[in-house]
Amino acid sequence: MGGLSKRYGALRAVRDVSFSVAEGEVFALLGPNGAGKTTTVEILEGFRSRDEGHVDVLGFDPADRATSRQLRERLGIVLQELAVEPFLTVREVLTRTAGFYPDPRPVDEVIELVGLDEKADARVKHLSGGQQRRLDVGLGIVGRPELIFLDEPTTGFDPAARRGAWSLVRSLRGEGSTVVLTTHYMDEAEELADRVAVIAGGRIVAQGDPASLGSRREVHIRFRLPDGVTPDRLPVPAAVDGDRVSIETTDEVAVLHRLTGWALEGGVPLAGLTVERASLEDVYLQLTGPQAPA
Amino acid sequence: MTRTATAVGRKSDLRLVLADVGYEQLAFWRNPFAAAFSVGFSLVFLVLLGVSGAGSGHIAFLGNIRTIVYYVPGFVAYGVMATCFNVLAITVVNRREAGLLKRLRLSPLPPWIFLTGLFLNALIVTLLQVVALLAVGRLAYHVNLPHHLPALFLAVVVGAVAFTAIGVAASTLVPNQDAAGPILSIVFFVLLFLSGLWFPLRSSSALARISAWFPVRHLMAATFAPYDPRPHARAYAWTDLLVLGAWGVAAALVAVRRFRWEPRRH
Repeated sequence: MGGLSKRYGALRAVRDVSFSVAEGEVFALLGPNGAGKTTTVEILEGFRSRDEGHVDVLGFDPADRATSRQLRERLGIVLQELAVEPFLTVREVLTRTAGFYPDPRPVDEVIELVGLDEKADARVKHLSGGQQRRLDVGLGIVGRPELIFLDEPTTGFDPAARRGAWSLVRSLRGEGSTVVLTTHYMDEAEELADRVAVIAGGRIVAQGDPASLGSRREVHIRFRLPDGVTPDRLPVPAAVDGDRVSIETTDEVAVLHRLTGWALEGGVPLAGLTVERASLEDVYLQLTGPQAPA
Repeated sequence: MTRTATAVGRKSDLRLVLADVGYEQLAFWRNPFAAAFSVGFSLVFLVLLGVSGAGSGHIAFLGNIRTIVYYVPGFVAYGVMATCFNVLAITVVNRREAGLLKRLRLSPLPPWIFLTGLFLNALIVTLLQVVALLAVGRLAYHVNLPHHLPALFLAVVVGAVAFTAIGVAASTLVPNQDAAGPILSIVFFVLLFLSGLWFPLRSSSALARISAWFPVRHLMAATFAPYDPRPHARAYAWTDLLVLGAWGVAAALVAVRRFRWEPRRH
């Protein structure tokens, strides 16, 4: 898809968003609430119309009503809301939904996959919030989808349930499904995604594999400016603010070698020396914060 | 990614409709509100009017029929409206606000199958209810079946179609789940009262002329017509059926224009 835009009146919810997802990949749209993640995914799902841009999902244009049924038979969609008929049982709801698809997974297999074995014949309204959510995920995968959209799949989960959801995503990927998920948890994107697009203010501000996202390859070296040393006498280019020296580099081994060699030779102390790689969280905050590049 | 043929194993649309009606039936009868408000209320009202003596008089201006004979088609009309309008509209609002409609919209199930299932479910409940009302009327109060049973059947079906459309249209006007029950029920019961469900109205009265603007009165007239003992009476109330049809068409237009699959709170 490319150049995707969506406006709500004067509010531009999504601006010129472009990315592509390869078959079998787990792709995460990472961004704060209100960044445009859900809008983007809903355009891909064909639920919302776009104002500009082109979209290709499994070879279909999701906005094309004529092919929407064919497309949806191959999609699995898990929404943020819990949305299941309260008066039917887990098994009934799954069997009903399985009937919509040409080659569904066996219902018992789905029940086991989402861990609802003991609740299979319970009515949906008697399930806990977490169990309903798992049923929701089950409904998303019962059609044996090639492409699965998970909109904030673990928001509100306790840590154990989160691990469970993560292992489910990994097993879907293992079966060859393509997964597009939205999340505002950095660790989730880092843990699951092959590639991440960071979205803020309706724009994609960075994309790539989680390890190289943004300026993550850069290492921050910091120390205090030694007494009697002026900034121009430092052996490597550095930013100096008062007595604080900071160096940003992707070649940390060479820089540290020169710096520590110079310090040992001249007997200069490097007080408070720290060497840090930016965490995904730093990158994320830097990309999505108020001073983010827009 | 490649496109592959997908139509191989899918159920036919007809089987999908039948399956959907089945699940709608399960959900309906397990929902205590839905079952009680439609089927429960109509039977309880009819029995209460019978045992309280309210149905034991005669209505002079309607060919001196027994009052209970007036109530049977009246509650048949109530049953049609409670099921197709009131319960259906509240169900649609609840499902919309709970995100169920959105989820359905995103599934491969074509919307027409879902809407057909919704209508057929309401029709089945309505017909079962009519049979129960006619049976109670016959067994408990010796109210004979109308001479023109097909006329009653036609009125029920036209009423079910029109009020399903009105119910779906009304659902689009209700903002949220909390408002759905009170708003729809107040409108519904006021119209029932004005239309003479509990107290028969002369058609020349001011109330009757007001309520003639609304569809409730016309459905009651159409279900009563097959029971009307007066010599000039016609079993098929074509004018009333026509007005109901017009309401149905107008409501369908509103429903199509305003229908939303996603919760209003967004």
